[in-house]
Amino acid sequence: MLALVVSHLLVALALPWVAARNTRAAFTVAALPPAAALVWTLGHAGAVLGGQEIVESLAWAPRLGLEITFRLDPLALLMTVLVSGIGVLVLLYCPGYFGPGSADGRRSAPLLLAFAGVMLGLVLADDLLLVYVFWELTTICSFLLVGQSGISREQRRSAMQALVVTIFGGLVMLLGFVVLGEAAGTYRISELVADPPGGGAMAAAAVLILIGAFTKSAQLPFHNWLPAAMVAPTPVSAYLHAASMVKAGVFLVARLTPVFAGVVAWPVLTAVFGLLTMIVAGWRALHEYDLKILLAYGTVSQLGFVMVLVGAGTHTGAVAGTAMLLAHGLFKSALFLVVGIVDHEAGSRDIRELSGLGRRLPWLVVIAVPAAASMAGLPPTLGFLGKEAAFEVFLHGGAGQAAIAAGLVLGSVFTVGYSARLLWGAFANKPGIPATAAHAPGAGLLLPAAVPALAGVVLGVVYPAVDELSAAYAAVFEAGTDPYHLALWHGLNLALLCSLIALAGGLVVHAARTPITRVRGRLVNPLNAQRAYERSMALLERVAVGVTGRVQAGSLPTYLGIILLTVLAVSGTALLTRSTPIEQFRAWDRILQVPLAIAILIAVAGVVRARRRLTAVLLVGVIGYGIGGIFIIDGAPDLALTQFLVETLTLVAFVFVLRRLPVRFTQSDPAPGLRWVKMLIAVGGGVFMAFASMIFSSARQTPSGVSEQYIARAEQGAGATNVVNAIIVDFRAFDTIGEISVLAVAATGVASLILTSRHERRRRRGSLPITERSAADESAAPGNAGAAGPIRPGTGEDPQGRDPRQEEVRE
Amino acid sequence: MGVTTQTGAVILAQQSIAPPPIHYSAIAPVLIVLGAACLAVLVEAFVPRRLRWSVQVGLSLCTLVAAGAWLVVYARGEPMGLTTLADTLAIDTPTLFLWGTLLVLGLASILLIADRSVEPGGAFVAESSAAPSPSPRAASGGSTGGTATSIAPAPTPAPARATASVAEMRTEVFPLGLFSLGGMMVFCAANDLLTMFIALEALSLPLYVMCGLARRRRLLSQEAAVKYFLLGAFASAFFLYGLALLYGYAGSVELSAIADATAGSLRSDTLLFAGLGLLVVGLLFKGSVGPFHMWTPDVYHGAPTAVTGFMAACTKVAAFGAILRVLHVAFEASSWEWHWVLWTVAVVSMVIGAVLGLTQSDIKRMVAYSSIAHAGFLLIGAITLTDEGLSATLFYLLAYGVTTIAVFGVISLVRTSEGEATHLSAWSGLAKRSPLIAWVFTFLLLALAGIPLTSGFMGKFVVFSAALTAGMAPLVVIALVASAVAAFFYLRVIVLMHFNEPAPDGPTVSVPGAFTTAAITLGVVVTLLLGVLPTPVLDWASVGGFVS
Repeated sequence: MLALVVSHLLVALALPWVAARNTRAAFTVAALPPAAALVWTLGHAGAVLGGQEIVESLAWAPRLGLEITFRLDPLALLMTVLVSGIGVLVLLYCPGYFGPGSADGRRSAPLLLAFAGVMLGLVLADDLLLVYVFWELTTICSFLLVGQSGISREQRRSAMQALVVTIFGGLVMLLGFVVLGEAAGTYRISELVADPPGGGAMAAAAVLILIGAFTKSAQLPFHNWLPAAMVAPTPVSAYLHAASMVKAGVFLVARLTPVFAGVVAWPVLTAVFGLLTMIVAGWRALHEYDLKILLAYGTVSQLGFVMVLVGAGTHTGAVAGTAMLLAHGLFKSALFLVVGIVDHEAGSRDIRELSGLGRRLPWLVVIAVPAAASMAGLPPTLGFLGKEAAFEVFLHGGAGQAAIAAGLVLGSVFTVGYSARLLWGAFANKPGIPATAAHAPGAGLLLPAAVPALAGVVLGVVYPAVDELSAAYAAVFEAGTDPYHLALWHGLNLALLCSLIALAGGLVVHAARTPITRVRGRLVNPLNAQRAYERSMALLERVAVGVTGRVQAGSLPTYLGIILLTVLAVSGTALLTRSTPIEQFRAWDRILQVPLAIAILIAVAGVVRARRRLTAVLLVGVIGYGIGGIFIIDGAPDLALTQFLVETLTLVAFVFVLRRLPVRFTQSDPAPGLRWVKMLIAVGGGVFMAFASMIFSSARQTPSGVSEQYIARAEQGAGATNVVNAIIVDFRAFDTIGEISVLAVAATGVASLILTSRHERRRRRGSLPITERSAADESAAPGNAGAAGPIRPGTGEDPQGRDPRQEEVRE
Repeated sequence: MGVTTQTGAVILAQQSIAPPPIHYSAIAPVLIVLGAACLAVLVEAFVPRRLRWSVQVGLSLCTLVAAGAWLVVYARGEPMGLTTLADTLAIDTPTLFLWGTLLVLGLASILLIADRSVEPGGAFVAESSAAPSPSPRAASGGSTGGTATSIAPAPTPAPARATASVAEMRTEVFPLGLFSLGGMMVFCAANDLLTMFIALEALSLPLYVMCGLARRRRLLSQEAAVKYFLLGAFASAFFLYGLALLYGYAGSVELSAIADATAGSLRSDTLLFAGLGLLVVGLLFKGSVGPFHMWTPDVYHGAPTAVTGFMAACTKVAAFGAILRVLHVAFEASSWEWHWVLWTVAVVSMVIGAVLGLTQSDIKRMVAYSSIAHAGFLLIGAITLTDEGLSATLFYLLAYGVTTIAVFGVISLVRTSEGEATHLSAWSGLAKRSPLIAWVFTFLLLALAGIPLTSGFMGKFVVFSAALTAGMAPLVVIALVASAVAAFFYLRVIVLMHFNEPAPDGPTVSVPGAFTTAAITLGVVVTLLLGVLPTPVLDWASVGGFVS
């Protein structure tokens, strides 16, 4: 099985070369791998139905528990026949539809084949994670197929929508898989079925997985991507949106229903959403004018139907579900292909433009009628068998079951209604509309459509074959004493009555189509899923734009403000929640500290308010000297001396730089509101720091052993009364030397850089135009790029002429 | 600096002190890189100008290959984890993995940086002329406003562009890159906070300079450098302050000593948590995790694309390597108290990255936001504090880094006469002009979105499943929603490239030179391999935990 899947993908890789030369050949080649898969599967059908399953396994990433395991069991058999069989037919249909050498055809051939391979992998996979991998790959293939050349805006939007919805669903489903796998300790589906895990996590897993399945199978409220995806070429729609991809969700539910047998939510959710989907989409289909959109809503409706059946978790439900799965794949792909032929030959799929095609294309009618009959559930088709069984599922239970059955009957009424509408719309003579001209389609188009249509009838007649397949899958469920079997005639019973009601009701609905449409026009439609999707996307976009505009303004103060706020929030909370007492708190030690502190605070306020650069620099100096004063009061004159020295040096350096800058700060004042916010953040940051340092210093432990040793040995060991001095020049003398050497080297480097650039400038001056010269200056000091930045004084002087001392201060 | 801290052994000067043993074979990769960086400075000084480029490129590439080869040989001997250089460096399996990752990513980055064919003469400031080109601010998606850096009036336009376009690039970028890489390697091996801080500066300072070296759009590039420098300095200050508080708490800067102190002591928690908070701010800033991400879009946008690739990939690896080590080694015992903070940070980062990325109209800014979202995912792996989470995060780092570098490699190829065409509208219909590049980029974007059969999926998968096992289901749910939203903007680019009509005056796709081709190919192949056959790398990533 691995070889089959891989061969699909390999051929698809090579196909573009063929397609570039001959599209017809490309499609023919592309049909080979699915055909091989079909033959292989049918060859093993006997063994599989006999209860023997074929398993292939290959370790992929054992550490992650990822393995490639394929298993051919009855359900996989059914899906493989659908996927590969319809795949072959659609690929053979394509050349006639696309015409030789069309760009869409060239693009579609490899993609369709790749899709077929991925889909084959999906239905055969026996590992949840493998299922997810193929699941996402089908999404991508379908995205590319629906988008096609993307000429129209609509195509792009539809492709995008399908992608967003299904990828979202896929990720949610992955989460469900992981929850399920972790709860059970295995990701093997067959093991899960054999030994379903229990526990509270199962309900969560069920809901998550169902969301994934609903998105893929276009169930309410995610259904609208499917009609939107009808912009794809018709063969693509026939394959993806009828036979295979949209079936993936239903298939997954069918696969996992035995696992979730103990979860109440599973059948309830599938029944509620499935029924709603079946009825709402059926109602929509009754009013569409585009044949393809009509079929799309029909597909959504039918998928809801199948969802109800396969989710039910009973033996009869499983039989009915598989029968309907097969029936729907056959009749819907046939009908899509028929609509494709109509579109291709008559140039329109609008009911209001088509008229009298039945007489011009009699063969097409012959194909379409049995397919539509199967859709409507007329005997002796497969659709009839499935529908009979479906009614049977819910007719023998309590009130809830009866309600479901009533819902199914209503849905079936709509189904019959839109089946009639389809036939009437495509082929009938409509008064007042001129007969549509149409070419006769070739056999290449008709045959692929005819095969599934006829198969629906043939399988309906030889129903024991289908029954055997359905029963083989349904064997996992408890069958009871008298298991249900598919048959054309069960006697006069309630199910038959339901079928009759559905048929009669549907014909009435079709006959009364004009008044019904009028009624619908008057109904307000408050819940439109398409609008909801568009609105939520637009909302997301608006929020993103708004937040970006506020937060990512490119302004450093804003960025800093955000960082500060976060620090305040995180560390500030830590401070507040673990209120450490401030020990030995005193307002001041000496009264002199108070005026100094007040002076510093005034200077701080002045710096913030200063407009002139020089004022600001001087005020900063005042702050520094004030702190030096506090050092003196605290009895550290040496420290104060250092502080004064540094302060003076900085001031001088600043003044040198200020010579070259404008006198005033050029930045205009921000909005007053913003000013207050900034002020608040700044004050908050300052208060946080102040409190933090008080708390931190009181939270100190006893001095470390090293400090004690330093203090003890300073006097006698180093002969110093100042421990700091002793540390610097004695205990850690090597560190000091190292530090001095580094500083010296750095200073030398900076000085030499400046001297070189001066030298070069003198040498070049006069020989170069001005722009060249400043450019040369700029490139001469690469190490300064961080500091120099784009800030250039407006005076036209070069930035390297600054005082070397300033560089040293910076170091 | 030197006067602050060391062990107390020094004062017992009367006894003879045995120098701490050094396991040269273990730290050889770092020595090779740093030694080559010094050598490259000398090359800059003494080799004639016309030979410099080839010598520098050869030296850098040989260095990385040699260091990598040594690493492989050393790692194949299945060494025990050890600490060396007086316990300042811990050479354990995660370190070796991170070093390997850094060397691979560094190699790819150097290849991108060395390319001279895409931009004639290279993407960096030219030798003879570095005149600024006209202001590109109009093109910058939203990076305007009252910045501190926009004080100056616009510079005069450069008539010298014609000469600039043929001039050779300056080659300082190679030693700078090597120094930075060496700093990163030390950063993720540092076993005490002080070494970590020094490594942080060693990796950051060259990066600040490299950001400002773009040949085109000089102003934007320099603004990016200044922003990065100022904010980076702030972050370093936070880191240092946090370090001081932790020293006050534990009485040591060694990670293991802090861990001992947290496990059963009656000391004040205030110091511990305030210190951890500030320390983590510094680390998260380097990893561009929201809400400390603000510099990321501006800097990614302004820096030369090759440097952006280097920053995006290597810095993230180094930062998360350090975050992993700090959290695992020092703060595991106290995790119950702080984990909610990092939970919040991870959520904020994912949401910011995913939602704000939606509006970006510039591809480099978009990738920047994607990196913020990815940082959130990485953080989830980092705060699981399990061995599984550790190996998952390591794997994710490698996967993300390789893909990102290739992404920036492709971005550097799509150009107009003005330079790189980073505005998204210029990318429409790219598949019709240059299908190969468009498909390569599509593949890389799918990897970033985390689609199966790419490394992105495997990375997300391992991280999320590790987080689930560690009981962080709510976080994983948010992460999945964020992935879905983020997928939207990657996919939008894919739609744009494949389905839109190309603009009539759209960009051309340069034929990449051998260097860029090699880098992109490396990225794509590794992305695919990690997506299809992740087992060998995962095995390597999960051999063992940290030693201290």
